[in-house]
Amino acid sequence: MITVDGSLKARLAIWLLVTVSALGALLLVEAYLSSERAAERAYDSQLESAALTIAEAVQWEGGEPVVEVPAAALQILATRHQERVFYAVLDADGDIVSANLEMSIQPEWRRQVTERTVWMHVDNQDVDWRLHGREFDSAGWESQDPVQIWVGHTTEGRQSLTDELFEQAVTRFLAMVLLAGLLMLLTMRVALNPMRRLRRVLRQREADDMRPLDARVPEELRELAETLDSLFAHQRESRDALLRFTADASHQLKTPLAGLQSTSELALKSDQPDEWRRALEAVHSGAGRTSRLASQLLSLARLRHVADGSAMVRLDLVMLLRDTVMDWAQRDVASGHDLGLAELPDTAQYIHGEALSLRELIGNLIDNALSYTPPGSMITLGLVQHDRDVELFIEDDGPGVSPEALERLHQPFERGGRQDTEGSGLGLAIVDSIARRHDARLSLVPNTPQGLRVCIVFPLTAQEASP
Amino acid sequence: MIARPLMILALAALALIATPAGARTELVVDAALDREVVEPLLRAFEQAHPDIMLDFRDSSTLEVDERVAEADPAPDVVISSAMPWQMSRVNEGFAQPLVSSEAQDWPAWAKWRDEVFGFTFEPIVMAYRLDLTSFMKPPATHADLHTLLTEQRDLLRGRVTTYSPSRSGVGYTLFQQDARYTTRFWDLVTAMGSADVSLEESTRDMLKGISEGRYWLGYNLLGSYAMVWAQDHPEVIVQVPQDYSLVMMRMAFIHRDAPNPAAARVFLDFLLSGDGQRVIAGETPLFSVRPDVVGPYTAQRLRDQVGDRLYPIPIDASLLAFVDPLRRKAFMERWRREFGQR
Repeated sequence: MITVDGSLKARLAIWLLVTVSALGALLLVEAYLSSERAAERAYDSQLESAALTIAEAVQWEGGEPVVEVPAAALQILATRHQERVFYAVLDADGDIVSANLEMSIQPEWRRQVTERTVWMHVDNQDVDWRLHGREFDSAGWESQDPVQIWVGHTTEGRQSLTDELFEQAVTRFLAMVLLAGLLMLLTMRVALNPMRRLRRVLRQREADDMRPLDARVPEELRELAETLDSLFAHQRESRDALLRFTADASHQLKTPLAGLQSTSELALKSDQPDEWRRALEAVHSGAGRTSRLASQLLSLARLRHVADGSAMVRLDLVMLLRDTVMDWAQRDVASGHDLGLAELPDTAQYIHGEALSLRELIGNLIDNALSYTPPGSMITLGLVQHDRDVELFIEDDGPGVSPEALERLHQPFERGGRQDTEGSGLGLAIVDSIARRHDARLSLVPNTPQGLRVCIVFPLTAQEASP
Repeated sequence: MIARPLMILALAALALIATPAGARTELVVDAALDREVVEPLLRAFEQAHPDIMLDFRDSSTLEVDERVAEADPAPDVVISSAMPWQMSRVNEGFAQPLVSSEAQDWPAWAKWRDEVFGFTFEPIVMAYRLDLTSFMKPPATHADLHTLLTEQRDLLRGRVTTYSPSRSGVGYTLFQQDARYTTRFWDLVTAMGSADVSLEESTRDMLKGISEGRYWLGYNLLGSYAMVWAQDHPEVIVQVPQDYSLVMMRMAFIHRDAPNPAAARVFLDFLLSGDGQRVIAGETPLFSVRPDVVGPYTAQRLRDQVGDRLYPIPIDASLLAFVDPLRRKAFMERWRREFGQR
C-alpha cells in the first residue's frame, strides 16, 4: 500500500523550503562575512590614504623628523562617519615625534612594521579601533632613518557599512526567494498539468472501456501511462478469454443437450418400449457425460478464480506421483494401455503445493494420455531433478500433436485437432491453471520418435526444511 | 472652597523653600563663557527646570580644558570657545553622545558624532575707535587692514591690538584658520609686527583698550562681545569684515564621567532647543544657530546682513590638526619669525 499524505505541491514546497532555508542560512553567513570584508576594505583604504598624506608631510629639520599633520589627513581618517581618530609618527628609535592620543604602540608591532605594513584591531578603553601602521623611508641631509606612521580610527562606520551591505544582501536574497517561490508555484501548475489531464481522462472513462489511454504525457508519467495501458490490455484479454470461455462452454453444453433432446423426441414418437429403453440408456449416458463436462467446467472456473494460496503445504512430489499413478493403473480405463513410471529420484522432492489439485493435475494428464492415444500405447510418467526445480513429465508413443496445435493445446476446449474422443477439451486447460497456481511452467514438446511429452517444472522448496 | 487652591499654592511655595538642597539635582557646567553674557540663558534654564541646581563655573579656555581630564568629580557639561581643544577632548573619548530629537535635528555642520555641539554662531569682527575715521578710511577687509598697517604704520604704531596666539586658545585658532585661507595672512602678520601691534588675551581687554583710547583698531575680536560693548560705548564701531568673516562656535559636550548625566542631557537639550536658542537670539549676543529661531541675534539675520561671506570654523576632524604640538610649534615659530621682523 502506498501512503502519500498531503499534496505533491505541499511536499515539493516543504522540500524546497528546507533546502532553501539551509542554503539561505549559509548564504547569509557568507553575505555577512563578505559585507564585513567589503567594509573593511573600503575603510582600510582611507586609513592608507591618511597614512600616505601624513607621510607626505614628514620633513627633516636638523637631523630630526618633523611633521605638520595635514588637516586633510585627519578628515580622511575621520571619514564621513566622524570616527574618532588616532595618529602617531615614530622615529627609528620608536620615540614619538607626534601623536594625538595616549595609545601606546607595542614594540612588537613596531618590529612587525619594519617588515611589512600592519593592519590590526585594537581595544582601547573598551572601544574597538582599527590601526594601520607602515614604515616610510625618508632622507634628510643629516640622517636617512625611516619613520613609522600609525593611523587608526574607531569602527562605527565599518559596522554601519557592514550592516548596510548585509541588509542589501538580505533584501536581495529575500526578493529572490519570493520570486523563486512564485515561479515555482507557476512551474508546478504547468508541470502538474499533464497529471490533471490524465486524471480527467481516467475519470471520464466508461467501466467497460478497455482501449489504451492514448494520452501524450511527459517522460516521467509515460511509465505510469504505459502500465495503465498494459493493465487495460490484460483486462481486455482476460475479459475476452472469459467471454470466449463462456461461449465455448455454452456451445459444449448445448451439443450433448441437443443430443438428449433429439433422442428423447425420437423416443416419444415411438410406441415401442424397446425403443424407449434404448433412448433412456442413451439419455442416461449423455446426461452422465454432460454432468462430467459441467463439473470440469466448474472446477476450471474455480481454479481460475479462486487464487487462494492458503491450502498450500510442503509436500513430496515423488510420493504424490507414485500414489497417483498406482491409483490410476488399477482403474479399468487404464487396462488397455501400458501405464508406468520411469525411474524416480532417490530422495524426496519437496515442493510447495496443494495435494488435491496436484492429484487432479496428474490425473488429468493421465486421462488425457489415455484418451488421445490408441490402446496399447506406452504412457510413462517420471520426475527429473534439476538444480533448483523438479520436472514432472508424462510421455506417450501415440500419434502426437502437430507443432501448430501444440501452441493452443492448453486452451479450453482444444482437442489437438481431434474430434474422435470423448474428452471435453478441458483437461490441459485445468492442468495449465493448476500449474500456474504452483508457479510451475507447462510445456508441450513432441516425443521422440513419436508421441507427445508434457513437462511441468516445479520450483523446489528449501531442502534444509525437510522433516 | 476658594481657600483650597490657595492652600495648594501655599503648600507648593513652602515645599519650594523647604526642599533641602540635596534633593535637587546638582549640575556642574564648566564653561569658558562670560557669565554676564550668558546670564539670561542660565536664568531661563533655571526657570524651566527648577529641580536642577545649576552650578555655572566660568573660567578661561585653558582651565576648562585642563579640568576635562583632571577634575574629580568631572564636570557634567563642558562649554568652551577653544574649538580645537574641545574637539581634541571629544576625540580622546571624554564626551558621551546625546541621543535626543534636538540633537538629531541639529544641523550637521554644527555637531560632531552627536557628542559635541556648536550652539552659538559668533562672527569674528574688527572694531575701531571713532577717532580713527578722522585720520583714515576705516578698514572693511583684511586687505584694507594690511594696506593701512603698511601705509599708516607710523600713525598706527602701538595703536592696533589683536589676540595673542600664544596666550589665547581662541586667538591661536582664529589665526590658524586665517592662515588656512590665504598665505597673504603672513604678510598681515609681518605688517602687524612692524606696527608694534599689542597682543591681548581676551576680546574684553581689547575692547577696554579701545574705549580707553589706548588702541584705535582691533582685529579678530569676538563679535558677540564687541556688539554688546558697542551698544554701551558709542566710541567703538564694530566692522564685520567684507571679504570674509570667520565664525566661531561655542562647543558644548556632556562629560563621559558626568556625575549627573540626566541633568546634563536636559541642559544640553535646552541649549539646542527652540526655547534656549530663542533666549540666545533675543537676550544674548551669542547668535542662534537654528534657522527657525527669530530674534536680533541669529545666524540667519547675520547672513542676511553680511551675505555669504561668513565662514564658520568647521566642526570636524581637521580642527585636531590645530592642537598637534608640532604643528602648533611650527605655527608659533613662523608667527614669531614674521611678527618679529622689523
